[in-house]
Amino acid sequence: MPTVKGDGMRGLAVFISDIRNCKSKEAEIKRINKELANIRSKFKGDKTLDGYQKKKYVCKLLFIFLLGHDIDFGHMEAVNLLSSNKYTEKQIGYLFISVLVGASNELMKLVIQSIKNDLTSRNPTHINLALHCMANIGSREMADAVGSDIPKLLVSGDTIDSVKQSAGLTLLRLLRASPDMIPIGEWTSRIIHLLNDQHMGVVTSATSLIEALVRKNPEEYKGCVSLAVSRLSRIVTSSYTDLQDYTYYFVPAPWLSVKLLRLLQNYPPPEDPSVRTRLTECLETILNKAQEPPKSKKVQHSNAKNAVLFEAINLIIHMDSDPNLLVRACNQLGQFLQHKETNLRYLALESMCLLATSEFSHEAVKKHQDTVITALKTERDVSVRQRAVDLLYAMCDRSNAEEIVGEMLEYLESADYSIREEMVLKVAILAEKYAVDYTWYVDVILNLIRIAGDYVSEEVWYRVIQIVINRDDVQGYAAKTVFEALQAPACHENMVKVGGYILGEFGNLIAGDPRSSPLVQFQLLHSKYHLCSPNTRGLLLSTYIKFINLFPEIKTSIQEVLGSDNNLRNPDVELQQRCIEYLQLSTVASSDVLATVLEEMPPFPERESSILAKLKKKKPTAAPEGETKEKEHRAIPQAQINSSETSAAPPAASTTITLGGSSAAGGGTVDLLGLEPTPPAPSAAVSSGLNFLVDVFGDQPSSTTNGFDSTFGSGSGGLTPGAEENYKKFICKQNGVLFENDLLQIGIKSEYRQNLARVGVFFGNKTTFQFTNFVSDLVLPGNLSSALSVQPKPVDPTVDGGAQVQQLFNIECKDEFSEAPLLNISFTYSGKVQRLCLKLPVIINKFLEAAEMNSEAFFTRWKALSLPEQECQKIFKAQYPQDTEQVKQKILGFGLSILLGIDPNPDNFVSSGVLHTRNQQVGCLVRLEPNKQMQMYRLTIRSTKPSISQALGALLETQF
Amino acid sequence: MIKAILVFNNHGKPRLSKFYQFYPEDLQHQIIRETFHLVSKRDDSVCNFLEGGTLIGGSDYKLIYRHYATLYFVFCVDSSESELGILDLIQVFVETLDKCFENVCELDLIFHVDKVHYILSELVMGGMVLETNMTEIITRIEEQNKLEKQESRENLFGVLHRVGGNAGIYGKTNDPELDSIQGHESHSSIFLPKGVRL
Repeated sequence: MPTVKGDGMRGLAVFISDIRNCKSKEAEIKRINKELANIRSKFKGDKTLDGYQKKKYVCKLLFIFLLGHDIDFGHMEAVNLLSSNKYTEKQIGYLFISVLVGASNELMKLVIQSIKNDLTSRNPTHINLALHCMANIGSREMADAVGSDIPKLLVSGDTIDSVKQSAGLTLLRLLRASPDMIPIGEWTSRIIHLLNDQHMGVVTSATSLIEALVRKNPEEYKGCVSLAVSRLSRIVTSSYTDLQDYTYYFVPAPWLSVKLLRLLQNYPPPEDPSVRTRLTECLETILNKAQEPPKSKKVQHSNAKNAVLFEAINLIIHMDSDPNLLVRACNQLGQFLQHKETNLRYLALESMCLLATSEFSHEAVKKHQDTVITALKTERDVSVRQRAVDLLYAMCDRSNAEEIVGEMLEYLESADYSIREEMVLKVAILAEKYAVDYTWYVDVILNLIRIAGDYVSEEVWYRVIQIVINRDDVQGYAAKTVFEALQAPACHENMVKVGGYILGEFGNLIAGDPRSSPLVQFQLLHSKYHLCSPNTRGLLLSTYIKFINLFPEIKTSIQEVLGSDNNLRNPDVELQQRCIEYLQLSTVASSDVLATVLEEMPPFPERESSILAKLKKKKPTAAPEGETKEKEHRAIPQAQINSSETSAAPPAASTTITLGGSSAAGGGTVDLLGLEPTPPAPSAAVSSGLNFLVDVFGDQPSSTTNGFDSTFGSGSGGLTPGAEENYKKFICKQNGVLFENDLLQIGIKSEYRQNLARVGVFFGNKTTFQFTNFVSDLVLPGNLSSALSVQPKPVDPTVDGGAQVQQLFNIECKDEFSEAPLLNISFTYSGKVQRLCLKLPVIINKFLEAAEMNSEAFFTRWKALSLPEQECQKIFKAQYPQDTEQVKQKILGFGLSILLGIDPNPDNFVSSGVLHTRNQQVGCLVRLEPNKQMQMYRLTIRSTKPSISQALGALLETQF
Repeated sequence: MIKAILVFNNHGKPRLSKFYQFYPEDLQHQIIRETFHLVSKRDDSVCNFLEGGTLIGGSDYKLIYRHYATLYFVFCVDSSESELGILDLIQVFVETLDKCFENVCELDLIFHVDKVHYILSELVMGGMVLETNMTEIITRIEEQNKLEKQESRENLFGVLHRVGGNAGIYGKTNDPELDSIQGHESHSSIFLPKGVRL
């Protein structure tokens, strides 16, 4: 039994016990400062310290650091220890450096020199120390200086196992730090063959390395598949005595098995039938073992066994090709859903989420719906409940939507705060996606507001209003329901907003019932007025003026409210102006004028208003007569918006200001008439809600930088170098790195569901210093603002060194588009302003949803689309190897399905998809015919819309 | 990849911190505090995986932890690691510590931060699993100890620094204060997770 504690440093022990005896924080700090002063003087003193002393002091510094104090000296002494020929001194030197010295430290040159020396040492323990240090720090400079020696060390026959093992991971780290600096091509095959190494430790480290290499270049490392499968097979079929020390609680080499299974998840199912059979056997064996009685009651045994099992299931899901295995996997996970171990329940829910997306197993997953719902209700652990929510969301389809949404709503009442916002969005998306009966949808959203009003974001309540406006069949129901909801003694402000809006539009539909007569409606709304924020009050005032039109009989009561001192002299300038204006409108205008001005909202795809708004802003004279005046007065509210830009005025408010501004300055009837094109109020506010929001945000740079135009100009013209190439890489994938330089890394994670997108942009500060004035703005050039509506979330103005911040965009595709949104980023780094302009990879094909169909359906549709302009054909040369699997992956990534058994030639690819925009859904059929001899492709796309065939053709052409 | 390995006690006092990605010192301390805050409020019966730390790796990041009697062992990992695999790795780490220190207790970690680092570095290197075979790990630690003994003997004969020799750090000391520490924190094996025998 080894013991490491026999040989300590006495001075260190005494110091530590001193610290521990300190009665107070102050005493501790005092003692530490005393010690720091002591060490400092020792280091600076005339007497040269010997290795032991240096070691002791460095160790003390490490301890002080661990207590949370900054250490700003001792680095040099640590570096000196590196050149000692005593192992223990070298060791502590390296330890200090990997804990306390960052890659950017100026001492790094000296450190690298020592590493170089140690690497050439004949003593393997010294080599290992150097390798460890490199693997822990992993800087570009290291890769540059010694990187090229590492592959030799790794594959050489002279290297001892422990060094090989470390060399594998060191190389991995250096490749991460500097992917292009180490030439590795010539070593490929020898690295792959490390999978056959005798020493399991070497294989473990090599597997990690190979997986990283495979991610970069799957084609080059393809050979690892068969080796990995045979290695796996040897482990899985071995008895637990075969692998002796690598058997962990009766499970043979669990970590290595997990790693191998992960490695295989980078490839499609093996093409070679014998390899494929062998892999299937392995997976079956693993699944079989899960059913055997446990060899030990210890939790470690079941952990290790299940770690392998879960990874095998992940691989089965990844391959998604063997229905038999998929169903077995699903059943296995089903067992785990009710397991007594919380960890297993958590993981089962997580894996099942993946399984739900496979067509083979979606139905099988649905069988577990009740169990998952029970989990949501009864699990004590929020982590597990969160997974249950995710799974319910993933398994939801038209058949079970009502039940799942109902359960989620019920759970929302008691849900943890941390997951509420996400749940609200999920419920809203599901309710809309699977609504058959829109009264149900309205109920769901109102319930959402009632239960979790604080977490209902603007896009959710905008959306319900859009849908109600667009569907006559739910308007009466919606009015009745909101009226009832508003009767609750305490209701959420969002409910007041929705209620105010809907009653203002459709209150007349329920006015026949004496219980909801006009006056009752008005009084009900007005009873909430005083409890609301100015924004909502503004909205309610607009509802009131709409009431005057709908219900002339209550005009006087409303005028009384509008004219009350409280409103006319309201300190909030918006409200004051609104009141004055509406009061005036109701007094001066005839009922005909009122009826026109305050007409019911037109149905939603109402793009014109936003273009018009933009036009009016830019060129006042170009606007029609009636609006000229309004434009002139816009200057005032514009300034207000800009000055209050921190709060990113919501659309309702911004329109309100416009209205207020116009009448305050101009007054009189001309102005009131001029309001018509942007109808006063909630209607205008919300009708063009989403569009306006874009406009409002589009304005923002103009107040922060000098002028919107200049920002915009630089944006569209001056793309940052490399932006275009990186953007193209995203055509067939959703996640990845969009941009990277020495300062900043920008990553993208996106999710698409029909015509809705959630795009997360991650800004990672790669430096150790803070970025300040960090601004990231999305610009929609040209007509894009009418095709996309974007809800950006603001991003923090400071990004700390090493930190990552996220900016989320909720995007809705309203119409087809071809240009890309531009992301303008600026920040200050060490006093200099940095600017970037990137294309955000929101591309039309992202809104494609793969469609499955049989050959008959396909040909019927194909023939139906026979007009020449509906077809787009391209013939082009292959840019990449014509590998069937890769092409398949790209087509799937592009958003299309792969339809088998349709084309008589098995080499050809036939696909279909539906493009979702808010206004329409366009079916697309695609055929791709590779010609391997000529290395050419012929691509044919047919869709109902010529422009879409063209757009998709242009995108796909660049991918193969 | 493992981004960081943190060990702290029930009061949040850090006992080991090892980052495999560079973070400025103050951020390191902040991460430890945040992690403690997240982990310590969790019941022992809930699962060992946790999302929600904001400081380390953005969204692709999980905390996998085990709570032993007085200590939390937390591994911060990204999605490329198997959760159960990491959970077992924590167990291997602790079992190795237990063998190396002969019934390890929190005090061992306090007085031998350097040794704990060396043991850890035989298991995990640059954020990746290096070795999982406990026998192999212990053999390597033994080799290190041999080297150390050899060098300290040379030291003794060469420069007479350490009159106290190998009296043990908190074995038998003449220091009454040191003895009193042992009274505070029991020496019995605190590493056993509740309900689990090694």
